[in-house]
Amino acid sequence: MAKVNLDFAKGLPRVEEAETVIACFQCSACVAECPAAAHPPRFNPRDIVLKVLLGLEEELLRKDSVVWDCATCYTCMERCPQGVRPIEVITALKNLLAARGMLPPEAAAAENIRRTDRVIVHSEAVDRHRKELGLPHLSAEGKRIEEVMGCRNTPSSWDA
Amino acid sequence: MQEYALFLGCMIPMKLPQIDAAARAAFTGLGVKVEDVEDFSCCLEPWNFKGTDLAAWLKVAGRNLAVAEARGIDILTLCNGCSATLIEAAHLMRDGRAEAEEARKVLSKAGYKDDNKAKASHAVTFLSREVGKEKVEKSCKRRLSGLKVAVHYGCHLLRPSDVMELDDPFQPSFLDELVREAGAEPVECRGTMSCCGSAVLERGVSQAIAEEKLKAVEEAEVHCVVVICLACLGQFDLGQVELGRKAKKEARRKPIPVIHYFQLLVMTQGAEVKKLGFNRYKVKVDDLLKAVVA
Repeated sequence: MAKVNLDFAKGLPRVEEAETVIACFQCSACVAECPAAAHPPRFNPRDIVLKVLLGLEEELLRKDSVVWDCATCYTCMERCPQGVRPIEVITALKNLLAARGMLPPEAAAAENIRRTDRVIVHSEAVDRHRKELGLPHLSAEGKRIEEVMGCRNTPSSWDA
Repeated sequence: MQEYALFLGCMIPMKLPQIDAAARAAFTGLGVKVEDVEDFSCCLEPWNFKGTDLAAWLKVAGRNLAVAEARGIDILTLCNGCSATLIEAAHLMRDGRAEAEEARKVLSKAGYKDDNKAKASHAVTFLSREVGKEKVEKSCKRRLSGLKVAVHYGCHLLRPSDVMELDDPFQPSFLDELVREAGAEPVECRGTMSCCGSAVLERGVSQAIAEEKLKAVEEAEVHCVVVICLACLGQFDLGQVELGRKAKKEARRKPIPVIHYFQLLVMTQGAEVKKLGFNRYKVKVDDLLKAVVA
């Protein structure tokens, strides 16, 4: 039988009104225009909100979690008649997954920035292409954001 | 004359310098003065980075805003992602959440002052709201010969609409108007407001969403797609090559060029297109250029 965590919804990090899930009445307005819901394996924002409400934590917080199939288009929150923001519930779940070390490699790649200030790696080809177009030279990779970025943030409320 | 900080992010200056070049030329044509700010970092994209570490995302966006604030100038961006991050983070930094309080504390300790004084806008919003129709039209010296365009707004400049406060989140018109002002004809296209699918990590789903959109564009019989976001651009430009490789030979579609709005504008302003790096796209733009520059 599925394990139920009755405090799951309450314990979500407060990522942009994630706590509004309580108002969901499961009408599926969020699914109708969801671009990811139209293709197999049929990602479903209504179902994710339901699982949060039912406390089915293990089904969402796992290595192959479905939340990474969200297109982040915000259609769900714009269409919700109850003011729920399913996308922000999903963002909260992604933050929880990251804090628990369950990031998929594609999302982890964005972490380049911690080392170089940029997601893209600077190369001679970049300088050459810019020169050809008469563009100003790009400054070298900096350590400008290192001092503010710090290590991965895990507020106590997110602890597993 | 008022100056603006040009916020390029990292995709544009490093992978797509042709858009950087087009925007600078277009700004010159419009008499808009922009400044390069060395101290800016990457924006941190708002789809999966916000999802992996909200606090770090807020700190980096807050830092970039503080850098502009210290110079007393507002920011212009060329991508929906950079705009969404800077605008949304400025909003979230002030709503009292724990991550925002922590970000503010860290920034202040590192000597960054973020009092919400520097405003960030996408440069197309700036053209539409500040520069205005008359000036944009007046800057266009060349006449395009019936260039039909599928306008793709993308998601993040319009939504969440209560934060972005720009246009109707499902029936916007400002970019269609800008395309018209730049001498091209925006063509009604099925699913204009549909997402490009770039943020979906499952590649099969992501490509299926892009394919849907490309089918609609093909049906609309346009010369090109105009985008204002780098994620959308990659999804449709490189995406067509990937989809073409996957498809059987007989099912392959005629490739449709995908360009950034500023490249359209600068062509109409009369720039020498050979110097604008159009050849850097995966889908060849030659036919489009021939049609336009005839």
